[in-house]
Amino acid sequence: MSLGFCFQSSFSANPILLFAGFESIIHEFDPWFNFRATKYLVANGFYNFWDWFDDRTWHPLGRVTGGTLYPGLMVTSGVIYHALRALTIPVDIRNVCVLLAPGFSGLTAIAAYLLTNEMTPSPSAGLLAALFMGIAPGYISRSVAGSYDNEAIAIFLLVFTFYLWIKALKQGSMLWGALCALFYGYMVASWGGYAFITCLLPLHAFVLVCMGRYSTRLYVAYTTWYALGTLASMQIPFVGFLPVKTSEHMPALGIFGFLQLLAFLDYVRSAIPSRQFQTFLWLFAGAAFGLGLLGLVIATSAGFIAPWSGRFYSLFDTGYAKIHIPIIASVSEHQPTAWPAFFFDLNMLIWLFPVGVYLCFQQLADEHVFIVVYALFGSYFAGVMVRLMLTLTPVVCIAAAIAVSALLDTYLSVKSPKPEENQAVEGAEGKKAAKSGLKATNKPVVGVYTTWGKGMIVSALAVYLLLFVLHCTWVTSNAYSSPSVVLASRLPDGSQHIIDDYREAYQWLRQNTREDAKIMSWWDYGYQIGGMADRPTLVDNNTWNNTHIATVGKAMSSSEEVSYPIMRQHEVDYVLVVFGGLLGYSGDDINKFLWMVRIAEGIWPEEVSERAFFTPRGEYRVDGEATETMKNSLMYKMSYYNYNNLFPAGQAVDRMRGARLPEVGPTLSTLEEAFTSENWIIRIYKVKDLDNLGRDHSSAAAFERGHKKKKVTKKRGPRVLRVD
Amino acid sequence: MKTSAVFSTFLSLLSLGSAASSERKSSSTSTTLPATFKPPQVFKNSNLVHVISVEKNYVKENINVLIENIDKTAQDEYFVPFTADQMSRLGGVEVKDRKDSSAGPFIAEAVEFDQESDIQYLRIRFPKPLAPGASQTLGITYYLLKAYKPLPASIKQEEQQYLFFSFSAYCPSAYTTSKQKTEVKFPTSNIPDYTKLPGSGDVKEFPQKQGSKLTYGPFDEKPAGATQPVSVRFEFNKPVTHVSRLERDIEVSHWGGNVAFEERYTLHHRGANLSALFNRVKWQQAQYYQPNTFALKEMKFPLRVGSADAYYTDVIGNVSTSRFRSNKREALLEIKPRYPVFGGWKYPFTIGWNSDAKNFLRKTATGGFVLNVPFLEGPRQQEGVEYEQVQVRVILPEGAENVKYHTTIPTQSIIEAGVEIHRTYLDTLGRTALVIKARNLLDDFRGRELTVTYDYPLMASLRKPLVIFGSAMAVFVGAWVVGNLELKFATRK
Repeated sequence: MSLGFCFQSSFSANPILLFAGFESIIHEFDPWFNFRATKYLVANGFYNFWDWFDDRTWHPLGRVTGGTLYPGLMVTSGVIYHALRALTIPVDIRNVCVLLAPGFSGLTAIAAYLLTNEMTPSPSAGLLAALFMGIAPGYISRSVAGSYDNEAIAIFLLVFTFYLWIKALKQGSMLWGALCALFYGYMVASWGGYAFITCLLPLHAFVLVCMGRYSTRLYVAYTTWYALGTLASMQIPFVGFLPVKTSEHMPALGIFGFLQLLAFLDYVRSAIPSRQFQTFLWLFAGAAFGLGLLGLVIATSAGFIAPWSGRFYSLFDTGYAKIHIPIIASVSEHQPTAWPAFFFDLNMLIWLFPVGVYLCFQQLADEHVFIVVYALFGSYFAGVMVRLMLTLTPVVCIAAAIAVSALLDTYLSVKSPKPEENQAVEGAEGKKAAKSGLKATNKPVVGVYTTWGKGMIVSALAVYLLLFVLHCTWVTSNAYSSPSVVLASRLPDGSQHIIDDYREAYQWLRQNTREDAKIMSWWDYGYQIGGMADRPTLVDNNTWNNTHIATVGKAMSSSEEVSYPIMRQHEVDYVLVVFGGLLGYSGDDINKFLWMVRIAEGIWPEEVSERAFFTPRGEYRVDGEATETMKNSLMYKMSYYNYNNLFPAGQAVDRMRGARLPEVGPTLSTLEEAFTSENWIIRIYKVKDLDNLGRDHSSAAAFERGHKKKKVTKKRGPRVLRVD
Repeated sequence: MKTSAVFSTFLSLLSLGSAASSERKSSSTSTTLPATFKPPQVFKNSNLVHVISVEKNYVKENINVLIENIDKTAQDEYFVPFTADQMSRLGGVEVKDRKDSSAGPFIAEAVEFDQESDIQYLRIRFPKPLAPGASQTLGITYYLLKAYKPLPASIKQEEQQYLFFSFSAYCPSAYTTSKQKTEVKFPTSNIPDYTKLPGSGDVKEFPQKQGSKLTYGPFDEKPAGATQPVSVRFEFNKPVTHVSRLERDIEVSHWGGNVAFEERYTLHHRGANLSALFNRVKWQQAQYYQPNTFALKEMKFPLRVGSADAYYTDVIGNVSTSRFRSNKREALLEIKPRYPVFGGWKYPFTIGWNSDAKNFLRKTATGGFVLNVPFLEGPRQQEGVEYEQVQVRVILPEGAENVKYHTTIPTQSIIEAGVEIHRTYLDTLGRTALVIKARNLLDDFRGRELTVTYDYPLMASLRKPLVIFGSAMAVFVGAWVVGNLELKFATRK
């Protein structure tokens, strides 16, 4: 009953917050791709989706989309869609996608309930965990309606897989182990973060073995999970043979082998006398270790096992990505977490979390070891990368629920032990103890006697819980329910004003350009252009080809003479930039520009230089003091072209950067302005065709502006002596 | 208005049986005649006034003609010639007797005789034959869509738009015309170019210009089929809105007591293209200095009083630039496209709203139901709106039967009507949907009625609750049975 309520509340709290402000809309960037892929799946069927080669992205390379995505999310919503259709409920695929995340957050709450119930006999802990799971901002950030991302279903799968693992481990049951493997397979199909499970379960097993807790239960649970789970995971084309080839998956394989050895030793020990067993053990261990190491070294050096990938290195050295792979570092989600984020995302739970972990130490059965290991592992990764806060949240909710329920169980019982009785009993016992002389074995009677003390604690807890709810509601409505495609602002009279520039421009592109017009933009907008404008793009958020992205970065950061040939070579028809100068919108391209420069510089260090975009005093400026390289860059020109005509002469101001712009705006000769949205957030430029008269564009443009053609003195080159 | 309603009253009885479909065939809009067909010269046009109105973004033509039967027998068919191209763009033909408004319906329909021929005919059938020597005044009204070309074809965003239209100064007729004149009405008096013809009688030169009106004629007797091509170019600084397809769904719910409307528009601007690409600075400045533009900025949909829950979306999602006012006196939906629509641009969108069923639905004495809704609503724009294809779908409740409809839209515009099955919201049989396809309609016809009568037995209305109740029970029973199954191996005790 109460669980149903939790499910309800976590399911319904989110969409209501969302619909209060906006309509049912897909959020942000990646969800737009997932949405587009889902539409493709629904329209063309599963097998076509599996073999989908998408020629409308990464022009002219294309993308083998079917083999490079995690299909779990799309297949899930496709199944739901077809099931509802079969019941003749006329649901739009968009609404299925939008509401999938809140729906699964309800399931996550149930999974958290089940997992917590495995930890503690107290029934309230599970309910509290479900409640926390439902409203903790750290998870709500990924479960609001419209956040149609892999994480939406992955967190449910993560928690549920853990539940099944604990179940399998506790019972030593092959059935539960197989179920665990099944859900693990589903998880692999859904999210790249499955590696978290792949590493955490072996770690748990390893810790248990080190604690001397090896048992046949562990053996059965682990080997069942590993064997079936690995097979299941290899069915996904994107994963393929990675589970036996890459280093991320090696711990799981290693522990699998290790457990086999242990089982073998266990068997041998029961079969031979203990003295011989000692010698056997040493020999065997040494040989196994040596062979294993040798095999690993050979396999790695021969290239059978790939070394750790860059994204993985950045988990251990936060500075690694910034130097070696700027494209990873340029995503805000991949930055190290700032400490207030923990409080922002978890609020009260963050200080209850250690208490819960401590309570786990008190009992320390196998499943409590899991919580401890998970807590350590999760905390570390959450500290390294902002987005991994998501994997920490479930364990925080569980631990905090254990702590709160322990407190409530202690303080909420109305029945208080009677002091006199206890005294009497104690007196009597004291006598007994004195007689038996075993006083130390007698536990002193502990209890809370005063009602007002209980009342104080309970009401304090209730206040904390209420504040927590307040905080969660506030965070959700302010930080996490904005779709970022639509911006909301307030008019002076307090009414809501919606700034819808993105969709205005995308709709314009979709309706008024050729079906196959190629759009060049920074990769952030690739998925949105594909999803909303339905036009081919050069690069998108699936950053699989760094060079291609760097090419776009180079075109954006170079002068027109350099960029134009690049754009011609890539058959670009339109260039799209995001400009926040008029509105003071911070997420615009000038603010992201340095990343483009850095990524381009990574590939063409001699042609693009980040230093040239800073003034001699080291400032990044856009006003009259900006460097020549900056002023000549395509991005700068596209952002500010025609902008000063909007203001009285000489008063053009960039409101985002608070800079007064030079009186004469930039001129463009190879591009022409094609569309600018109402608030100037999106600006679209058309790439000019080659000049009809064979002039270069700058002289053609100068002629159009009415300048006389400059007498071009024929360049003869430096005179050289004829040597014959 | 009343007379026109009487005239154009088109009664098409349509029931689900096969008898009805054969009946539909007989009232089909085209009739096959031999390929060598020529209209018999049985009439003479004694006097003819041809009024062409180019005030809106479609052409409305009105031929008032006094005809005389010069044959020896009574005649009941009058033919009006059109070119094949005009025929495909012709819509909203209505014929009435100018003198006698109570004369029965004149049925106008296209004659099918030779697909290749450049001249096609519209046949008008009189309610009663015209006796030899007798005369009658006909008022023939029709519309031509896609009638203009912008000239120049592309202009700058702040320039004025001019349209070009060509027609015949002599009214095309299949009969000899003794006396005629052609008047052309323009939206403004700014008509920079028009063809001049040598005058006759006391007029030196045609046309005569009076304000925003040009008059060619009067001309003396012209033989059948005489034409005199002339063209005009006039200022039209308003959007040339063209809806290439409108799908209008009207969903009736008896349980909910609601009628839901949804309209999907594919809208084009057929005016002048932009010679330089769109410039936001100029656009924003023009908003203050020169708000009059040929771009489509806004549309107003006056809905029936009592409409509620209006929405406005397009393929990407909700469009936030709309306002909906609904009170006791009016219900007005004002929408703005996401971007100003210039010539050559396209903007498809969807609007919808709900209304209380009691505003439209009535129960008859015999137990059937009558639904009376506007055939076409759409925007009311000063410059007019033309619709090339219109599909109206009336989705009746599941199990509705014996569907008949009747509409006051001109017969000639309706192409096809039929009953389909539409499955939605836990339907088992599917709902009865009446689908009417029409073409070449204009916003002049907004508010013309569509009346649908149908029977809806009580059992049909109880079907869904019973089906849902039954299936829910089945699920529960199934779950109970499965839950009681013992799947474990028997343990020995």
